[in-house]
Amino acid sequence: MAQIPNLDNAPLNLISLREQSQKELINILKNIRGKKCLVIDPKLSGSLSVIIQTSLLKEHGVELRHLSAEPIQTDAAKVVYLVRSQLNLMKFISSHVNNDISKGLQREYYVYFVPRRAVGCEKILEEEKVHHMLTIGEYPLYIVPLDEDVLSFELDLAYKECQVDGDTSSLWHIAKAIHKLEFSFGVIPNVRAKGKASVRIAEILNRMQAEEPVNSPDMVVPEINTLILLDREVDMVTPMCSQLTYEGLLDEFLHINNGSVELDASIMGVQQEGKKVKVPLNSSDKLFKEIRDLNFEVVVQILRQKATSMKQDYTEMTTTSQTVSELKDFVKKLNSLPEMTRHINLAQHLSTFTSKPSFLAQLDMEHTMVEAQSYDICFEYIEEMIHKQEPLINVLRLLILFSITNSGLPKKNFDYLRRELLHSYGFEHMGTLNNLEKAGLLKKQESKSNWLTVKRALQLVVEDTDTANPNDISYVFSGYAPLSIRLVQHAVRSGWRPIEDILKLLPGPHSDTKRGRFATSPSLDTLQGASASMDKVADGRRALVLVVFVGGVTFAEISALRYLCSQEGMAYDLIIGTTKIVSGHTLTESFVEKLG
Amino acid sequence: MANVSVAAEWQLLYNRYYRKPELYRMTWKHIDLSRNKLHSESALRKLRIFNCAGVPLSETVWKNPGGRLIGMAWTDDQTLACVVQDGTVYQYNIHAEPLRPNISMGKECFEQNVVDCVFWGNGVVCITESNQLFCIPDFKNPKPCKLAGPGIEEPPLCMAVIEPQYTMSGNVEVLLAVGEAYVLAVEGTGFNNWALRSYVVRCRRWLFLVTSALPPEQLSWCGMDTVLLYWDDMLLMMGPRGDPVTYLYDEPIILVPECDGVRILSNSSMEFLQRVPDSTESIFKIGSTSPAALLYDALDHFDRQSAKADENLRLIRSSLPEAVEACIDAAVGFGSNFQRDRIQEMCKILRVLNAVSTMRLASLLVYNNISCYTICSDWWLINAHQHLLALRISEYLGMNQEVVIMHWSCSKITASLAIPDVTLLEILLDKLKLCKGISYAAVAAHADKMARKLAALLVEHEPRSSKQVCSSFVEHRRRDTALSKATESGDTDLVYLVLFHIWQKRPALEFFGMIQARTMARDLFTIYARCYKHEFLKDFFLSNGQLQEVAFLLWKESWDLGRNPMASKGSPLHGPRIKLIEKAQHLFSETKEHTFESKAAEEHAKLLRSDYKAGHFVDSSISDTIGHVLSWETIELLKVKTEFKVSEKRWYWLKVFALATIRDWDALEKFSKEKRPPIGYRPFVEACIEADEKGEALKYIPKLADPRERAESYARIGMAKEAADAASQAKDGELLGRLKLTFSQNAAASSIFDTLRDRLSFQGVS
Repeated sequence: MAQIPNLDNAPLNLISLREQSQKELINILKNIRGKKCLVIDPKLSGSLSVIIQTSLLKEHGVELRHLSAEPIQTDAAKVVYLVRSQLNLMKFISSHVNNDISKGLQREYYVYFVPRRAVGCEKILEEEKVHHMLTIGEYPLYIVPLDEDVLSFELDLAYKECQVDGDTSSLWHIAKAIHKLEFSFGVIPNVRAKGKASVRIAEILNRMQAEEPVNSPDMVVPEINTLILLDREVDMVTPMCSQLTYEGLLDEFLHINNGSVELDASIMGVQQEGKKVKVPLNSSDKLFKEIRDLNFEVVVQILRQKATSMKQDYTEMTTTSQTVSELKDFVKKLNSLPEMTRHINLAQHLSTFTSKPSFLAQLDMEHTMVEAQSYDICFEYIEEMIHKQEPLINVLRLLILFSITNSGLPKKNFDYLRRELLHSYGFEHMGTLNNLEKAGLLKKQESKSNWLTVKRALQLVVEDTDTANPNDISYVFSGYAPLSIRLVQHAVRSGWRPIEDILKLLPGPHSDTKRGRFATSPSLDTLQGASASMDKVADGRRALVLVVFVGGVTFAEISALRYLCSQEGMAYDLIIGTTKIVSGHTLTESFVEKLG
Repeated sequence: MANVSVAAEWQLLYNRYYRKPELYRMTWKHIDLSRNKLHSESALRKLRIFNCAGVPLSETVWKNPGGRLIGMAWTDDQTLACVVQDGTVYQYNIHAEPLRPNISMGKECFEQNVVDCVFWGNGVVCITESNQLFCIPDFKNPKPCKLAGPGIEEPPLCMAVIEPQYTMSGNVEVLLAVGEAYVLAVEGTGFNNWALRSYVVRCRRWLFLVTSALPPEQLSWCGMDTVLLYWDDMLLMMGPRGDPVTYLYDEPIILVPECDGVRILSNSSMEFLQRVPDSTESIFKIGSTSPAALLYDALDHFDRQSAKADENLRLIRSSLPEAVEACIDAAVGFGSNFQRDRIQEMCKILRVLNAVSTMRLASLLVYNNISCYTICSDWWLINAHQHLLALRISEYLGMNQEVVIMHWSCSKITASLAIPDVTLLEILLDKLKLCKGISYAAVAAHADKMARKLAALLVEHEPRSSKQVCSSFVEHRRRDTALSKATESGDTDLVYLVLFHIWQKRPALEFFGMIQARTMARDLFTIYARCYKHEFLKDFFLSNGQLQEVAFLLWKESWDLGRNPMASKGSPLHGPRIKLIEKAQHLFSETKEHTFESKAAEEHAKLLRSDYKAGHFVDSSISDTIGHVLSWETIELLKVKTEFKVSEKRWYWLKVFALATIRDWDALEKFSKEKRPPIGYRPFVEACIEADEKGEALKYIPKLADPRERAESYARIGMAKEAADAASQAKDGELLGRLKLTFSQNAAASSIFDTLRDRLSFQGVS
């Protein structure tokens, strides 16, 4: 099975989107004739792996390398760099060129920026006196379809850059990406945004529409009806909680990377010492599509049932005589055997983590923090974690959750825990703590927390959650309904108006705008009702809502959205856009200062 | 059946029809092609440009130095490129205005004298007297280069190029006919003569033919597989097989190859020789009964109000769509693939094509596809100053009018030197507003080139925050506005553009002042400088009093020093590191909000100093240091403990685990008895369990205060009975359930839990 996801069932024509990106890359390579060495920014190569097969690149006379400080070893006379427009990568390129010069090697250099050229980067190349030797181009990859309903902008550091450094490049990028979608699918008539970054994106998007208008004929109904933009900042509680869906847990423990996990071969039942295997995880795998969004407890049961029923079928097959059609059915079932084995192996591996007392204790503590009742217990738990020198990321994750639900820690505790952290994990983390403070994730308490009000008003904690037959999105965290998705639920159902009081308690402004030719029509309060007639796309499909998470989304949240989508009476299909798929781990890690 | 008169003038070459309609009568006077170079006249040292109908468009005096004119041609974007003997290329637009700068083929070419040149779409190849080849691959980006030396003594008989778009290498390839029936291919870097075997074979056949007669004066491909040969008064058309067709001319002609045929220019007329397209042939061929022919015939009858029209239509009912398509195709005159639902569009295009080919404009457009057409029409019309027509056409076809309006505005500015700025602005705005999204800045840039104040006025009206806006603002010394506009746009790249400009042009303090109040500009500057200009960033932070930021920078530098391999192992380089940290500490202490950082830096420096003394553990944390030191140096350790005020709690955790790591169980027990541990006995239990020492763990489990903890600890070392007892003591049903799960493999243990739980729930009820 390929790592490139199957997009046939996507509610939008994502295939053409992907083919466009493939074509653009191939054209770049085609236009540079002859043998060449393609040096890819390692992060990009992950993104490209869900777009294009490496074999296809090799067909165009490409030798592949990853960009690093090491000089390039190749016979090719042409070196093509494919890099994100990141300042720190420029030094690698200039040092490579200078290294070649010092060795007397004559090569042609091409630098393709993704998604576009950046003045800052070129400035560095100029200052390093290599700019004139490079042919510079762009590879406008703004969107990568990760699955039939998930688009990624591949901005893994967007949240940190925005919150800590004040680098808002990602906002422009997101607006541009959405604007590009509009060129294919029409101007999105309704835009709802919550959070500083989101409101800004909505503004930039309008500006782009004014400067470079998408001309959609009046009679055509735009394919995307509503855009909901949501800042990660609005809800940092959810990603800090351990995800309990199958896919979420896989990410928590095994780190899903661009739609696949890498594991020891032995876990997948292949007896090869020390060898790693890559397991693709996307909806091309039918069984995975069925179970990825379920609570892990339920997944274990389902897998057990399936295995049992198959065993039963097999016994029947060997003991009783069967008709040909029964035989055919059985063989059909056998076809799903590799998928079954794969997921049984994975689930088994996962349960070695989930059954650990430490994991259970951590879950317990997360719930206590979300409940925001027992301050002292939580404080002592974290203190002890630091003293035991448990992995820094785990500690910080809980600490962030603790700080947010309490809207900061009292100064005394704040300073004490920070000092203990520095003593236990080293003074280099002064930078880490500073980053967290700048982002508002770990701070001194200055006002009373309104988390309890928000929690109660939006019913975030749901007692008696039935994970097997869920009736609410809270099943993804076994009892906690993710705040972000609750907001989306409201935004889709009735707009911001009814929950404005609560929105004001959460960080950042919110906005609700009508665009295109709908801008002049009388204000429509709800999506349903007045707009119902235009929500129906001609061929009877449901209207489409694009939900964009600025700063990342977790698998559990995606699952919750899919759950909403599958509900009866839901008038919309949802498609998700995100800067990157994140987990509490990756988010926290992006704040950790790497020194020494 | 069909109108025979159309087909009567066709000639048959083997099995293909060719036609040669006259397109225009030439209206020029006193022109003798035998004396002039094509496209212009140089005998009188005048360059005159005519359109296809011989209407003079413009002329200018030719007074360029550099010797004889070797050749000239129109490039893709309708500039006339003229190559003269010394290798200089002069360029003119359609109004015979010279375009600067001239291009030189280089010194070597200058010294050798050009003898011949061949043009293609956007480039030219020249050959010199010493048989060296020079090339300009692209007039848009004129970089002359020398091709590989062909190594021939005699000048080649003739020369041809294969355009870069058709070659493997992506560079232009040159074919030279040398000696007899031998063709040499020259590439950018070398030459070979095997890759082009098919050309060689093909050329041989013609060479054979040519040697049998006088060499022809002109020779040209016509379409895909036919060749035209011209002698004195005879034009011979040769196909791959069959007898040639002969045309006789009593005046000199010039052959102009086009993509689908050849234009024949004579003193009196312009003709077009091409193969009759299949669609046309099917309609007009004498005796044709194809559906298309019948449809056309029906129209003829219909016009004459004859009932036969209906009869014809019935005959072809089933194939009507194909018939319609063939007719449209024939009407357009060239093969194209479009769908039936584009008939309307096609009719519009036909109208346009007809309008354009009237005498007044006389531009020949080839309809290959819409986009090609768009480019052609726009360039021709705009360059010929036919803006209104171009505008109407683009409106009619629903195309983007931006290019036309833009070009008009620029021409207008150039032509209206006498009109005052304000009036001109009115005129311009009136037209510019026709087109949404047009870049006022681009027009402004043009006005700026003409040194008009108009530029600034125009920019005010620009709705788009494009790069042009900024640069034009910058040029107008209104940097503040430029910065705000860029910031508003949200485009970080735009902000950087303005930033670098100001940074370069203005003194540092002014620059700092300008960005200080603007968050976005300031942040972006900081990001760039953090990556590339550390020292300058320090100046910035000092200038605005952000001392803590300077402190952070210094502190980071201390880590960079630490990473330097020379600095490790307690070498004297440790000194500078500590100094940096102390400096940072000092700066932190300047602001009240950063006392924490200040203290941390102080401790860090202290730790580094003690590290230095110990000669180990550079850059390990205090806890790690304690962990390491514990095993060998107790006195030193206590010193660390007091020096860094390590809390009792942490001290216990660290020491317990360190002792377990070195498996000094006696010491551990002694430590547990020193005094009542401040955090209970859990660390002791955990350390023992983790070290897999059940016996040791059992010493401490009973001492645990909380029965729940006791139960779980027992469970962890597999003592079900004890665990159950403790759990029942805690009266925690949930705990019992969970513990039961842990013992699910063990039936006996499970039953214990069940009994206990039953008893518990019973108690709960009572």
